[in-house]
Amino acid sequence: MTVGLVVVLFVAAGLIATGVFTAVWRRDLTAALAGIPLMFAGAGVAFAGVARFATVGGPQLFGQEFAVVLAIGATALVALGLGIAGREGSR
Amino acid sequence: MDSLHAIGFYVSSGVSLAGGLGVALLPGRDLRGLALGVLGVGLGGIYLTLSAGLAALVAAVCYLGCAALVASPQYRPVEGVVGSLWRQVGAIAAAILLAVLAYSAFRGDFVHASFYGGVFGVANLGRVFFAHDALATEAVALLVLAAFAGATAMWRVRERGR
Repeated sequence: MTVGLVVVLFVAAGLIATGVFTAVWRRDLTAALAGIPLMFAGAGVAFAGVARFATVGGPQLFGQEFAVVLAIGATALVALGLGIAGREGSR
Repeated sequence: MDSLHAIGFYVSSGVSLAGGLGVALLPGRDLRGLALGVLGVGLGGIYLTLSAGLAALVAAVCYLGCAALVASPQYRPVEGVVGSLWRQVGAIAAAILLAVLAYSAFRGDFVHASFYGGVFGVANLGRVFFAHDALATEAVALLVLAAFAGATAMWRVRERGR
């Protein structure tokens, strides 16, 4: 049993498509926002996979660095979207 | 990658995809938050098996924070104004996107760096954007993305108020 870049990209594609589906299918804005971390997770997995398998002899840290920034960015976007959507009873 | 890491990768991938499907399909903010937490744990496992330990730690913490935000009862639901027809079109577009990405992954010759830029010199641009000026590129991309997301959310809230 082994893992290659194609398998990693398949997982990334599944996460991205699931995130897009969540963002367009949910009626509630706060529920649709939950699709953003899924898309970012898929992109991060793709970056980390390419850094692990396709940069033979090259620097692997760029993909990992992007994965870290994407995770932080996903959290920031969810917090921003929920903050704009508003707290209960704020208006 | 040895067998132990491969098993860990497949298990983590299954956990993260199950969490993603839970976020998409489960009703209620509590269950959605739980599914997002499961996704975060699975994503951390994926990064860990890909030798990205720091990314695993940061992703797990960030996605558990996202799960806490999504599951929080403090935020009121905001109903969208998009009709069911456009939602179905968007769902079909998501399926098409999955097919395109899966085909691209299956035909993943591009990852072997056999393409060196062509007439537009994209390889040189890529080296500048993703190596020399990587942090600046990330900062600008996040700023633009946050601006688009904020503008979209404000537009939807305003449309709902009308």
